[in-house]
Amino acid sequence: MGRKILTVDDSKTIRLIVAKAFKTFDCEILEGSNGVEGLAVATREKPDVIILDFTMPIMDGYEMLSKLKADPDLKSIPVIMLTAEAGREQVLKIAKLGVRDYLIKPFKEDMIIERVSRVIELKPRGEAVAKAKNYDDVIQILVVDDKPAIVDQIRAGLADTKWKVEGVSAPGQAVDHCSSSSPDLIMVSLTLPENGGYTLFQMLRGSAKTKSVPVFGLTVKTDTDQQTRAQQSGFTGVLTKPIDFDELKTRVCRSLNLDTSLRYFATRDGALVMTLPVDFSQSVANEVGMHLRNKVNAAVDAGLDKMVIDLSQLKKADITLIKVGLNAIQLCHELSLKYSMIGSEAVCLECKNYEETKDWRLFTSYQDAMAQLGVKLAAAA
Amino acid sequence: MIDVLEDLIKGAVSEVFSTMLSIKTEPDSTLALLTTGGSHVATSVGFIGQITGIVFIYSNDDYARVITSRMLGLDPTEVDGEEMVNDSMGELGNMVVGHIKSRLCDRGMSCVLTIPSIVRGSQFSIQPVTSATRIVVGFRCDNTQQIAIEVLIKPEDKAQP
Repeated sequence: MGRKILTVDDSKTIRLIVAKAFKTFDCEILEGSNGVEGLAVATREKPDVIILDFTMPIMDGYEMLSKLKADPDLKSIPVIMLTAEAGREQVLKIAKLGVRDYLIKPFKEDMIIERVSRVIELKPRGEAVAKAKNYDDVIQILVVDDKPAIVDQIRAGLADTKWKVEGVSAPGQAVDHCSSSSPDLIMVSLTLPENGGYTLFQMLRGSAKTKSVPVFGLTVKTDTDQQTRAQQSGFTGVLTKPIDFDELKTRVCRSLNLDTSLRYFATRDGALVMTLPVDFSQSVANEVGMHLRNKVNAAVDAGLDKMVIDLSQLKKADITLIKVGLNAIQLCHELSLKYSMIGSEAVCLECKNYEETKDWRLFTSYQDAMAQLGVKLAAAA
Repeated sequence: MIDVLEDLIKGAVSEVFSTMLSIKTEPDSTLALLTTGGSHVATSVGFIGQITGIVFIYSNDDYARVITSRMLGLDPTEVDGEEMVNDSMGELGNMVVGHIKSRLCDRGMSCVLTIPSIVRGSQFSIQPVTSATRIVVGFRCDNTQQIAIEVLIKPEDKAQP
């Protein structure tokens, strides 16, 4: 559990509203129904922040705050007053008490989140879960661009993933969208009118809900000024148009710390199957290389003794591919795994031309490759 | 003073209902007090000081339940018992009267609020002492429901120093 927020209010309704407001954040809500209970909980739990009502029975907020500030162990806990009374005298009195901030009732949930996030860092409750997500999970991506064609292009470019792309055309719509849902990643056009992209970025970073969501700037490749400005402004990264979707997927995975291994590795028919994708590139090779040893070790640990290296989706063989293939074969030798390989016709032919690969035996079907490993499969329908 | 108070009531109800409940309110002078026929909830909050009085917020029981559900972000069927309604209506009264009180204080009439209390019933009426001034403002809520605010206030020349 993350931060501790103590809410002291005689109204159970207010305590419920506060608890609900912070439900999506990684924090524990503690409660007291008057100043006496509030002090007891504060002493026991040492909360990171206290949200304190003013008018309460038994001990009011003023008295509780005075006692809190007189206690060396508690005096540094920041206090936000939550009061229904907003007269000038009252506000001055509150200010003199040494409170960090105050909020006047009536209030909306996002107002209290915003005030608390000024005092302590709030992390979305799902952040830890998001970090454990993998490539095949649903990832919510919000694209803010006044050109609908770009949104459509991104949606089409990521159509082979389970990622969901939502598009809005203006910063205001993006803010509304983020208040009602929680995108995992946001892409913002840097050329929105009136510096809208930069203004939106500041708003996203100022909101507790989105402050840790990765935000990419979108601009054309030749606009280096925008790219520099976005980097200096603190954008997570800049994507240039036309968008290279292999690069985009890789950067999304890195930004969200997604486990990409399932994109390349699977267990099937009693064997570990490594499949290199059609969009094989140096960055994909790096990712595969990063996962390879762990996945093979894990497979052996789990009792597997066979591996299939599937190159059938590739259109050509180059030195990058050869290095990955040789690494996989080397690992199989080290761990005494039986292996077989599948390749497209083009890859089979090209492999004959390299000294390192001329002896590779590439099958053209999964069934044949498995038969080589001693696994008889039913013929494909 | 009376004119100011009526405006303060209208401003306070509009602000509290729109912010906390997303309910649009319209003052309607033709509406009567909701104290007879059916079950009703009356929330009272007093203010004491240079100006002294008491504010009642009247609602029928069913609408009090709707208000509670809106305040807590629950479905009306999830509102569990009278205690939850009482607490929410009390807090609503605290916010409305707190808003009025703040404006009174800014006008030099400092006062403090009392803890809200709830009265429930189907046949009751408030009888002010003869010296008290009484203001009643009815509101239509989202065009379909109604609430009423009643303020009983001591005349200014009899207010405490």
